[in-house]
Amino acid sequence: MLLDLAQLQEMHPKLPGDVALLLVTRAGLGLQRNGHRPGVGVSLDLDRVPSRGSLAWPDADMAKLEQHDRDRVTEDGAEAVALAAVHRARGWRVVRRLQRRHHADWLLEQEQPGEERRLRAALEVSGVGRGGVATRLREKLAQVANSPDVDERWAGVVGFEEPEVALHSTGGGRGR
Amino acid sequence: MDVDSLHTLVTGAIWRAEQLEDRGAESAAVAWKEVSLIEEELANALAVSEPEGRIARRGAVGAALSAGDYARAEALVQRYTSEEGTPRALRSELRKMLDEDARILEARFRYAAKHHRVTAARGLARQLQEGGAFGLAAA
Repeated sequence: MLLDLAQLQEMHPKLPGDVALLLVTRAGLGLQRNGHRPGVGVSLDLDRVPSRGSLAWPDADMAKLEQHDRDRVTEDGAEAVALAAVHRARGWRVVRRLQRRHHADWLLEQEQPGEERRLRAALEVSGVGRGGVATRLREKLAQVANSPDVDERWAGVVGFEEPEVALHSTGGGRGR
Repeated sequence: MDVDSLHTLVTGAIWRAEQLEDRGAESAAVAWKEVSLIEEELANALAVSEPEGRIARRGAVGAALSAGDYARAEALVQRYTSEEGTPRALRSELRKMLDEDARILEARFRYAAKHHRVTAARGLARQLQEGGAFGLAAA
């Protein structure tokens, strides 16, 4: 699976252009400051099914890294990667951003072929600058489990040191 | 404006408000006020029976509280809890948002909270806002 962050806006047409641009820029900065280049291999864990993929992004200008808050580079960069992964893996698209009290970052939707009804999902995202993603993923799954008004609840954690993406649903492998 | 455009707008507005809040900028309150107004517009456009309609109602109240505009949050809660078809759970959740905000205020101003109830202080603030100093004195 190729996750091309340059296509983030096409994957999620309701994402404002300026927000998409900033997310992708910060993802590039976060990956490049860890020594990675566009096209790098990425470990994927899509609802407990491990696989390998590659990650591409528009080359980031590292001279501008200091203009960005360090933590926001990790968190916002993770949002870009997770949103690309959740679209490529399951066809989810962004409806809107959620406020923090909704226990999730994004409301997503998925068209059901031949049905008028759309599925809705809450997605909570986090980024890890150093080390693995397992502990953070457990925390985020516990958080998103409280999100109301959705059919599915997902947590996505992106690791930048050794690129990895873990996307789990609270349904435990049944989030399709 | 259609609902899709409002969803795109609210995404951008929440994004800006979060970034300003994280930096401790005073203008975050203004940004949250904008979020609350867009959420209110979404709530007007979407029935409470729709998930996005319930999300917008919670969002309008929550953003008003984040903006420090308790009077607006209270007015929105009154409006949304008296709407026909509002699920009991949502009514209770919206009222809890106001209670939670009062608890945060009490924890922040512990000495004042020992002598005055937050609801009473807010009532006085509302009278001052609506009627000015003489209106408050006459109340």
